[in-house]
Amino acid sequence: MQHDDVVWAIINKTHCSHKVTTKTQQFCRNEYNLTGLCSRSSCPLANSKYATIREENGIIYLYMKTAERIMFPAKQWEKVKLSRNFEKAIHQINENLLYWPAFIKAKCKQRFVKITQYLIRMRKLKLRRVKELVPIQRKIERRERRREEKALVAARIDNAIEKQLLERLKKGTYNDIYNFPQMAFDAALKAEEISDESESEKEDEDEVEREIEPELERELEKAVEQTDEFVEADSDIDSAEESDSGRKENVDVNSDFESETSDIEDVADSVLRKKKPRVEIEYETESVASVSKKKLKH
Amino acid sequence: MSLSVARPLVSVYSEKSETVQGAAKPLPFVFKAPIRPDLVNDVHVSMSKNSRQPYCVSKEAGHQTSAESWGTGRAVARIPRVRGGGTHRSGQGAFGNMCRGGRMFAPTKPWRRWHRRVNLRQRRAALAAAVAATGVPALVQARGHIIEKIPELPLVVADKVQEINKTKQAVIFLRRLKAWSDILKVYKSQRLRAGKGKMRNRRRIQRKGPLIIFNKDQGLTRAFRNIPGVELLNVNKLNLLKLAPGGHLGRFVIWTQSAFGRLDPLFGSWKTPSKQKKNFNLPQPKMANTDLTRLLKSDEIRKVLRAPNKRVIRATRKLNPLTNNKAMLKLNPYAAVLKRKAILELRRRKNLKALADAEKSGLKLSKRNPAMKAEKLRERRRKNIKEALAKKPKKPVAKKTPPPPKKKADKKPKAEKAVKPKADKPKG
Repeated sequence: MQHDDVVWAIINKTHCSHKVTTKTQQFCRNEYNLTGLCSRSSCPLANSKYATIREENGIIYLYMKTAERIMFPAKQWEKVKLSRNFEKAIHQINENLLYWPAFIKAKCKQRFVKITQYLIRMRKLKLRRVKELVPIQRKIERRERRREEKALVAARIDNAIEKQLLERLKKGTYNDIYNFPQMAFDAALKAEEISDESESEKEDEDEVEREIEPELERELEKAVEQTDEFVEADSDIDSAEESDSGRKENVDVNSDFESETSDIEDVADSVLRKKKPRVEIEYETESVASVSKKKLKH
Repeated sequence: MSLSVARPLVSVYSEKSETVQGAAKPLPFVFKAPIRPDLVNDVHVSMSKNSRQPYCVSKEAGHQTSAESWGTGRAVARIPRVRGGGTHRSGQGAFGNMCRGGRMFAPTKPWRRWHRRVNLRQRRAALAAAVAATGVPALVQARGHIIEKIPELPLVVADKVQEINKTKQAVIFLRRLKAWSDILKVYKSQRLRAGKGKMRNRRRIQRKGPLIIFNKDQGLTRAFRNIPGVELLNVNKLNLLKLAPGGHLGRFVIWTQSAFGRLDPLFGSWKTPSKQKKNFNLPQPKMANTDLTRLLKSDEIRKVLRAPNKRVIRATRKLNPLTNNKAMLKLNPYAAVLKRKAILELRRRKNLKALADAEKSGLKLSKRNPAMKAEKLRERRRKNIKEALAKKPKKPVAKKTPPPPKKKADKKPKAEKAVKPKADKPKG
């Protein structure tokens, strides 16, 4: 009691950590405050005799504090559970705050009414199915979208598909004639050529023997001869063209595929490796002879 | 507050936060010292200037040129300009605070008065106030410390605490005392400083936690110093900057038993001077009893006051008597008579005029016409009066000079007035 006025003078004038000021009003964020406003009669710190109503998990309690217990903060607040019946609870409040200042009594009852009302409302709301509004977090959305794009690029789906298709081809899942677009064909061949060059070195070291079917062998020989011819005739100029034309002179794939389904892979590998790139694909263009003739004309 | 203090017993708590029986101490007198926030703030402001390091700009900054003004006549401002040529710098202004590359206005000097001395009495009084404020739970809470669950304030702990030398034990001790929530608050408040302090070795900031005041350090400092927010202080060297950080009263303090015992000899009481501080007595408060509301309601004061004047005089509106009848009557009650008379006179004249007009024009007025009615009534009354007079027994009356014959108009209203109460209905 002694200190109340001193405390209020200090809290009001200098610093109170629970005080929140706005342009028109001062609020008190102390959880035991009865009204929520910062004023002399409703400051729980500046009144040694004080009471509040608070609810915890839906149960409403009356908290009381007296001057005798101020020095023992742990035992300061006396907690009285209020009955679920509204009228009985009001009676309880009256009884407990019998000789207390009228302001506190009145505000306690008001607060009690408000708390019961909002608890009722909460219970009603829970029964109804409430659509929960989830706000879109712009920053996160932006970030995720960009990351998706990057992931898409990083996955390099086109390459994977290409590889898959080639693998399937090699495996022989496509038994029938398959049309390839020229560009992709050339690109694949070029790639094989590069890998072939590097691999040829490897092969010398490894000396891996591969079994080749006789038919294929014949065709390979044929191709070799033809390429050799080209080399003799136009060595410098047509070297690039040579290789191209060599590629174009392809063996009929059909027969090969049909006959040697098991060894297709080995054959294909050997063919690819030993020679200038020769993919076993049927190509509906000029025949070997016509192409060669054309070359000679040049 | 001062002269007749009740000194409650403060119980001592063991490091396991149980009361130590029989070791309750009476509250030292310091805790009843007057709490003066203004004094504490002033002293704090001055004291905190004492740890400053001087700063200043270089002495020659801005003057390391040999610039001279070109004077008038060259169509340029008269600021000194750099001599020579061949660089950008030549011809540019120099020396002024407004010039680029010039010296600043009032260059800061190292001989600025950085430190302040504070009077000894003020310092001691401020310290006493700060210590007193640590014993008021409201002030400690208002400053922002979480002391909801601590057993008592001021919080005194047994001396065994001074022997704690492991931080782990220190944490357990604080937890048992329920002071840990204050330290949790410190953890939550750790953040980077706003502003350039970041690059000036003041990068991180946090709020203050509890202050532990001991008498003899037997490992206590080393155990507690790594806990964020906790500060240690020897009771013989109390520091206002720690007891009232920021100039705000009410730090959360944990005292050890021996430290608590030292407070009385340190500060003394009002009657006995302090043993430690020479010529020091606790400052006298301005009010012995600070409970103003209670004082104003007390009988002693009420008796001396005069009775309160509860009469509320409200400004009344002045009503014009000439327009407002009630106001007129308040002032002059006879006005009612005059008014009434005038009204009746008016009516009578109107009726007579009507009759005269009717005679002149030869029109016969209907019986219902008010003029006719009035005339009829008058006749009837005249007859009644005559009869009444005739009936009355004639007394020998002293001869009076009869009143002078009045005009017909005057007589009639009088007669009417006399008969008025007998009349059935008012004319009109």
